[in-house]
Parts: sequence; structure tokens; C-alpha cells
Amino acid sequence: MSACAQGGGAPVSHAPADKVRVAFTLNGAPVEVLAAATDRLIDVLRGALGLVGTREGCGAGECGSCTVEVDGRAVPSCILPAREAEGRSITTIEGLGGPGGELDRLQRAFVEHGGVQCGFCTPGMVMAARSLLRRNPHPSPAEIRTALAGNLCRCTGYVQIVAAVDAAGHGADDGGAHG
Amino acid sequence: MQYHRPTTLAEALRLVAEPGARVLAGGTDLVLRMRDGRERPDALVSLGRVAELAGVTLGAGSVRLGARTTLAELVEHEELGRLFPALLEAARVFGSMLVRNLATVGGNLCNASPCSDLAPPLIALGARVELASREARRELPLGDFFVGPRETRLAPGELLTAVVLDRPGPRDRSAFLKHTRVTVDLALVNVAVALELDRGKVARVRAVAGAVGPTPLRLLGIEALVAGQALGPELLAEVGRRAGDEVKPISDVRASAEYRRMLTGVLCKRALATAAAAEVS
Repeated sequence: MSACAQGGGAPVSHAPADKVRVAFTLNGAPVEVLAAATDRLIDVLRGALGLVGTREGCGAGECGSCTVEVDGRAVPSCILPAREAEGRSITTIEGLGGPGGELDRLQRAFVEHGGVQCGFCTPGMVMAARSLLRRNPHPSPAEIRTALAGNLCRCTGYVQIVAAVDAAGHGADDGGAHG
Repeated sequence: MQYHRPTTLAEALRLVAEPGARVLAGGTDLVLRMRDGRERPDALVSLGRVAELAGVTLGAGSVRLGARTTLAELVEHEELGRLFPALLEAARVFGSMLVRNLATVGGNLCNASPCSDLAPPLIALGARVELASREARRELPLGDFFVGPRETRLAPGELLTAVVLDRPGPRDRSAFLKHTRVTVDLALVNVAVALELDRGKVARVRAVAGAVGPTPLRLLGIEALVAGQALGPELLAEVGRRAGDEVKPISDVRASAEYRRMLTGVLCKRALATAAAAEVS
């Protein structure tokens, strides 16, 4: 499915002079948005594309709330220019789980281990943990803490979050019984 | 503001030569500086699609780090850490995983932050930088590249294309140590050493400290002190006492100048000990 999204209801063919079309894969489907040179990836995700699961915390690449995967690597979308998304594959928190809203194993682990309180940091935590597990499917707690050091949570003591990622990394294969 | 995404080095060099153009690599610093108005370039030249600038190349006698190699790529490289332990350690403690996935070797060096974690190990390892413009190419020792905070010897229209390191010999050792307040933090002080040990004695050494001066600083007095010597406890204690005299730190929100001098001594002593112990283990 090709979604064509833009801000302000202006048709893509009448793009303002300072905006250009940026085409990329978003959660497995091709999309095209208009982006100004100063737009960041988070601006088009939350704005034109309406995906507000990606949160903006510090806006400076320090807190990890805005983490998305770009070609399988977790990056802060608040400091990545939207134009850099061109031709790449972006996964946001909305891209996880099944078509009927089923949670994937990592998401379930966050729920089961109480790795969520207010929830603001959670999408970023999940996306960073997902990127870790992609490269290191069975990380040690120390490796989990190192990988998530750029994701701040102001509710918890991180213990439940680390436990959730640890469980996801050491549990049964995806779809298997868990907890 | 124009936004260019060239696909070849030739095209990138043409765009970089335009007045008001600014090179965008990982963006972890430049994007923030643009957002708060400290930088207002007329055009951005993104290196994201320039294949010639990507990745680590292991040659017979040298190793080439393309300018847009990310810190994560350094950490994950299978061979690099064995060849250059100081570089691996610096990359490992550089920012957060999220930042390491964006930040690049060339971006970090051209940013010329006095507290760069990459510059001290690369200088200690004898790295050279390749600089290219439309007209010419040249190579410079990285130790001569930095002029001051955010100031390098890059000429207008010039682009840092790669960092080149000689492959280490069998007796070469290196180590990097960084002191911070919290895990993900800028260095209060960092120290890198690279040395060649010949029958237990220091045959050749470079020691470099960061965040203690306007540029990374070679600790030439320490290098002279340990040259030709075995790194015993007394000599290392002397290193610890003297290294702080060779740096020019400032006091700021992170640490006082006195603390930074003291840390320089401690880290230099420990880095030398770490590098030397690698031989016997």
C-alpha cells in the first residue's frame, strides 16, 4: 500500500518551494511525504504521517524517547533530518506486533515485567531494545544496560525494563508461551 | 536552505566548494547547532549516500576508515578492536548506542571538540587524515589537524574523506581510558597511549590527553620520560605525578582545572600500565 501523506492538506504536486518529496519504507509499506530541509524525521512521523507513538523528549538526542529503527538500527529521530530517510526502511513502535494489535514478544515482556509506568519512554525503550536483540539475541543484563544507557526513564529504576529485555532475549521463540 | 544528497565524491566536493555550504555527516552535533541558531548554512551537503566515504577497509599495510564510518561500525568490526584496542575502547564508550548508530568518524574529527573521544586514540596510533577538494588531495598527520575548539586545518571547499592507520606490528600495544561523571557523558579527561614494547622496554610511545586543552595534547614530557624504560611501579608513579603538568585544562561545569590535572596523571599512568600489561598476558 502506498500512502501519500502531507501536512496542511496541500496536494503533493503543489509542493511549497522549500519542500521536497521524500519516499521511504515505513513499517513495511512505501510512503511519500513532503519535507523541508529543516524537518527532522520525528516531525514528519508525528506530523504528516500521524504516528504519535514516537515521542519527543529532549529534542537533542539525549533521552531516547524518539527512538526509531532506520535500516534496523536504533537512532534518535529528533536529530535525524527527514531527508535522510529517503530510500531507507523506517520502523516505528506502530510497526511492531500483529495486524490485529497483538503485541510481539518484546512488547509482551515489557507488560509482563512491569517495564511500563507512565509510558512516555516506552516506545523508545522498546525500539532500542529491539535493535539490541537484532544484533545480540541473548544479551547479558550488563549488555542490556549499556545498550539502553541512552534511553531515560523518569518513573522506574530501570530494573523492570532490563528484566523485560532479558526475558525477551532468553524466552521461547516468538509466538511461544511466555511468562 | 538547500539540502543536497550527492551520490559520488566528485559531486560532493563540487557542492562543498559552494559558498555557505556545510557538510552533514551523522548530524548529532550540526543538527542541534542549526536548531538553536548557532549555525545557519545556506546549504547542507549530506554524505549519507557517498559510497566512497563508507566503511572500514583493511589493506596489507594500512587500515582506512571512511569518513562516514559510524562509531557503531567501529565497535562491531571483527578485526579492528584486535588491531587497535585504544580505538575500540574509545568507540565503545562514545555517547549512547543511539548516538553511535549515527555519529561518524569524520564528523567527530571535523567537529574538533576538545573532548573528542576519537581524536586522542587516533593521534596516539599515528593516524593520518585524507583531505580532498575539487583541485587537490593531501594527507596530514591527525596530530596536526586540530587548531582549536571547532577549528581545524580544513581549507574552504575541503572534505575529510578518510582516516588512515598503519597496521600495528607484533609488539605494538595501545590503551584508552576516559573518566566521566555518569555512563553516557563527555569526558572530564581522556587519555590514549600507543607504544611498542621491545624486551619489556618502551621502544616508541605516543601519549595523548583530551578535554585538557583547546585541542588534544601530546604529553611529550611523559613520552620522553618513559622512552627506553621498563614501565615499573616507580616510573608509573612518576608519570602520575608529572602528566598533569603538561596539560592546559580549564575549569567548567564538569570539573575544575586542578581535578583535570590530577585525572590526567591517574589516567596516563593507568593507560600505560594497561597497554604494557597486554604484552605479558
